[in-house]
Amino acid sequence: MRANDQVVFENVSKFYGDVLGVNRVNLSIPPGITSLVGPNGSGKTTLMNLMTGLIRPSRGSIRVLGIRTDNPEELFRYTGYCTQFDSFPKGFTGYQFVYSYLRLYGCAHGEAEELTWKAIERVGLVEPARRKIAGYSKGMRQRIKLAQSICHGPSVLVLDEPLNGLDPLVRAETIALFRTLADDGMHVIISSHILHEVDQISDQVILLSNGYVVAEGKIRGVRSEMQEHPMQILVRCNRPGALAAKVFEQDSVVEAQIHKDGLGVLVKTKDPDKFYLLLNHIAQNGVTIESVAPADDDVNSVYEYLIGSEEAGR
Amino acid sequence: MAVYKRSYRPYTGRLTPAWSRFFVLTRYAMRGMFKSKFLTAIFVLSFFSPLICALLIYLNHNPTILTMMHARHNEVVSVNGEFFLGFLGVQGGIAFFLTAFIGPGTIAPDLANGALPLYFCRPFSQAEYILGKLCSLFYLLSFITWVPALALFAIEANLSGPGWMWEHRSLAIGSILSSGIYILMISLIAMALSAWVKWRIAAGALILAVMFFLSGFGAAINGVLHSNIGFYISPGALITRVCAQLFGTDSPVNIPAGSAWFALLAMCGICLMLLGKKVRPVEVVG
Repeated sequence: MRANDQVVFENVSKFYGDVLGVNRVNLSIPPGITSLVGPNGSGKTTLMNLMTGLIRPSRGSIRVLGIRTDNPEELFRYTGYCTQFDSFPKGFTGYQFVYSYLRLYGCAHGEAEELTWKAIERVGLVEPARRKIAGYSKGMRQRIKLAQSICHGPSVLVLDEPLNGLDPLVRAETIALFRTLADDGMHVIISSHILHEVDQISDQVILLSNGYVVAEGKIRGVRSEMQEHPMQILVRCNRPGALAAKVFEQDSVVEAQIHKDGLGVLVKTKDPDKFYLLLNHIAQNGVTIESVAPADDDVNSVYEYLIGSEEAGR
Repeated sequence: MAVYKRSYRPYTGRLTPAWSRFFVLTRYAMRGMFKSKFLTAIFVLSFFSPLICALLIYLNHNPTILTMMHARHNEVVSVNGEFFLGFLGVQGGIAFFLTAFIGPGTIAPDLANGALPLYFCRPFSQAEYILGKLCSLFYLLSFITWVPALALFAIEANLSGPGWMWEHRSLAIGSILSSGIYILMISLIAMALSAWVKWRIAAGALILAVMFFLSGFGAAINGVLHSNIGFYISPGALITRVCAQLFGTDSPVNIPAGSAWFALLAMCGICLMLLGKKVRPVEVVG
């Protein structure tokens, strides 16, 4: 993959006076949906502001699709940004909000009008578009912000907490929209606190804590590299007691616990691949295995292992 | 699933010239201003004085009416530096009042609504933002100050002949320059206060307070120190001195005209610096 297809951070640090924003960040973000995950104050918004050129790094360099972030004229042709908080100029209707930003972007009246309606249609706000934003619900505000961020057809879409305040139906529609955009080759970079959704929608995640990137990549890849936390695997079977006894034949298994409902075993192993081979052997020797599923290779668990312990320690 | 195929196509249509984009803000700001009926009423009333002056100039050149009034040419009104200084004094007062009314609404709402990140995630700079907002005030106040002054100049030139126009061209230049620096100063003060004081009413009151306080404080310094140094912090005194130089009249402000210009430009510079500190895409609370 070419560097010009990626958002690249090279040894980037940002300090607000004595306060650390982010420190020594090295990242290459490919197209697709990338989620920034971390607790409040971990540096998610700083990272987003850095990649959209709204703030300059104290050290290091950032290139978005090969464009330096201190070149706004070119950078903002290719990026769209949706802020976390409501940012509406006073008295605007939804239509005016999107249209005015397209005019600032440099579109002439006719093209701006056409692109405005396209974006509004895409987020499903055609009917209330002529109403003032002040009268919009939280979900409508989120959607009109999303419309202004995609209206000029950016290649990199940066969305700070875009799912906040959306009801389940609109949330599903919005996630589907992100997926469509990402499948078309757009970088969709999202920050979110809702971990199960991050898991569901992301192609890759970046975990942040106290201004540092603690993990990045596909969530299962990140999980498999966390050797100090044995992988938890839930095996559903007809004879959990026999299975539990058998799995301890393997040194890498550190714990086996009969499930509360008595119909499975939760196994903790340091070597999942070896364990899966052992399961084949067990299955051939009289234990009927109904299902095997990793129990902690989701964002929630990774977050808990990498960041939760730090949070608890503070 | 990572994506390596790019079927997505960004906007590649024609763009308006980069230099003209700040007009978008100007246009929206002016539209917002004229939503206020009060402002529209004051704006319309501000044309009362130019109409009276135009009428006086006309009377001054109408032999029939002069005969009826038993007056001679130039006895009704003398169109010279004093005339334009007086005219711009009245119009400047109205302009200042309007600025105190609309100035706080230029930047404070954008800051209060957190709209700046969205402006600056376009190919749009801090300088263009300030210029766009400044132009909205500049256009509005121009129609109250130097534009009617030039209209009066044109009427007088038309009635007196081309010789008068050439001989008195300094009046036209003076009207433009004095109005220009005055508008620039009060607009920047209003915008700077609008950026720092988000509560609109307080910002409006502060604009009035700053102008009167600085004038009063300057006068107090002059009184205590028996010097003219206080004039340098009084925007009113500085404008008076600059206008006197431009229109060739006497001034009660006894400081060199060059230093008055410098002090006014320094005030504008301070306001720009204050604006630069606040008009930022991301507000960092230390």
